[in-house]
Amino acid sequence: MFASRTATSRLLASSSTKIASTSQLAQRAFSVSATQQHAAPAPVPPKQALKEFKIYRWNPDQPSEKPQLQSYKVNLAECGPMVLDALIKIKNDLDPTLTFRRSCREGICGSCAMNIDGVNTLACLSRIDRSETKPQKIYPLPHMYIVKDLVPDLTQFYKQYKSIEPFLKNDNVPEGREHLQSVAERKKLDGMYECILCACCSTSCPSYWWNQDEYLGPAALMAAYRWMADSRDSYGAERKEKMQNSLSLYRCHTIFNCSRTCPKGLNPAKAIAQIKLELATGA
Amino acid sequence: MSFSVIRPHVVSRTGLGMLGMRHISTSRAVAVQASRRVAAAEGISAQDTGGFKYVPGGPILPGTVNDATSFPPADKTHGSYHWAFERVLSAALIPLTVGAAVTTGSAYPILDGILGVSLVVHSHIGFDSAVVDYIHPRKYPVLGPIMSWILRIATGLSVWGVYEFNTNDIGTL
Amino acid sequence: MLATVTSRNLFRVAGASPAFRSSAAPLFTQVQRRFIQTEHLTTKDNLVLLNEQRLRRPNSPHLTIYQPQLTWYLSGLNRITGSALSGLLYVSAMAYLLHPVFPVIDSAHVISAIHDLPVWLKTSGKFIISLPFFFHSFNGIRHLTWDMGKALSLKGVYSTGYAVLGATLVSSVAAAFFL
Repeated sequence: MFASRTATSRLLASSSTKIASTSQLAQRAFSVSATQQHAAPAPVPPKQALKEFKIYRWNPDQPSEKPQLQSYKVNLAECGPMVLDALIKIKNDLDPTLTFRRSCREGICGSCAMNIDGVNTLACLSRIDRSETKPQKIYPLPHMYIVKDLVPDLTQFYKQYKSIEPFLKNDNVPEGREHLQSVAERKKLDGMYECILCACCSTSCPSYWWNQDEYLGPAALMAAYRWMADSRDSYGAERKEKMQNSLSLYRCHTIFNCSRTCPKGLNPAKAIAQIKLELATGA
Repeated sequence: MSFSVIRPHVVSRTGLGMLGMRHISTSRAVAVQASRRVAAAEGISAQDTGGFKYVPGGPILPGTVNDATSFPPADKTHGSYHWAFERVLSAALIPLTVGAAVTTGSAYPILDGILGVSLVVHSHIGFDSAVVDYIHPRKYPVLGPIMSWILRIATGLSVWGVYEFNTNDIGTL
Repeated sequence: MLATVTSRNLFRVAGASPAFRSSAAPLFTQVQRRFIQTEHLTTKDNLVLLNEQRLRRPNSPHLTIYQPQLTWYLSGLNRITGSALSGLLYVSAMAYLLHPVFPVIDSAHVISAIHDLPVWLKTSGKFIISLPFFFHSFNGIRHLTWDMGKALSLKGVYSTGYAVLGATLVSSVAAAFFL
């Protein structure tokens, strides 16, 4: 009896969007012994909620075949709430050849970055659109060379990140103690250090689409400003000097697609605008 | 430069175990040294494409993922000076346009001349930005320079035309 | 060398202790050797293989699949309106250079030609020309605001964006009917 209550309340919690009752649920779950839970699982009435997913497919083993959208139907009643859950379900139950990157499933690794319904985001943080009439379209990150299906080649993105020297550079390391920083100085780094390098922002930027061989893109530029703004770093002038050309920084036209799409809610466009302002005013 | 490096075998002997190993794998100094050794052993330089042609924006990239991309030579006339000039000029266009709109061309010919030339220069910067965005010479070695030169000639002719219009006709606004 | 790597991975899965590792490692190594056949590939060969793959890779779709958003639509409009206005300026200015050859090309002739047009055509013509002009001007002010470090938030982007669109429409209608 206890067991059935737990099972139904769990179902309710997963199907509704409210999370407030989680603690109550946890308490109940703990009060039920494991044997009871295993003994009598509540019969769940099978509910069909077929949702269509249209997913970009390209197989490097058949390179002459053009990329195409493949349709999959997933029963949402048997699937977790996020798009990544649906992808994993498709891979497990429907088509093991579907290829995508994923790791943490909680928005901290940045692996499952892809274009869902036209917006770059993390599949693990993106809820499935419950409407059964409209298919959900899933593409890889835009304007990238595709390794397979939803897996883009991020080599250039990483090489650019490396080029901005994303580490502390300081010639006067304090003797026998750590670098000290005031609260206000540390606060400048908030909103920048949280970047997980998922590449959603850079691949949402039209400027990056057209010139990604030279233009650094929002992710690398915000990382660059994160070190320019760090009071412990003494190479700010050198870091800025590198940006003094028409391509690395100044291909940014303040379009703001980057900030609009960032799954972590960061603001790369603001960081880039601040680099430009500091370069012009000599601050 | 000096790095404090804890050697792996020392760590395992002193029984620091997992903790010590983690310290080493996250130490940047060790990582840099290790990657240098690997790169040297592999014999792939930062510009190496394995005999394939490098096309800017193409799928072939020089070097490995461990080689950082390089920066074009620093030049403020293409960097912050250019940016600041563009902003100052754009901002100046606001009072110039409003001023020209509320007066008549024949009354203030100098103001009109400045507005006309400023508009052409502003347009030139805008067109040039489009050339750099879409048909940069590094990607279009023939079309890029041709368009750049057409733009320069057109801008020169337009400045001349604006001058003639302001001296012989009614002025820009 | 590859075989040892594999056996180490097996140990990681099993969570083996160091003592177990040292005693059992040779056995596992031999077992692994039977199943794995590897082909030696130099780093250069590997790069060539990778590049051959790279040349076949398709470029993922971008403009056509990205969601229409105020951000990049207004940015695109800014460039289109700017180019159209500048193009008009360049063409007019260069055309005036031909005035000595073709005296028809001057403001008096253009004004008289427009003067004879029907009112509805004049009004809509004024509207069509003032629309890009006011949009580019107001959006330019929006960009200058950002360049001064202000309104650099999503809220700022959207509120200023809608303000520019509203101001453009009002100004263009006013210019079309009252100018």
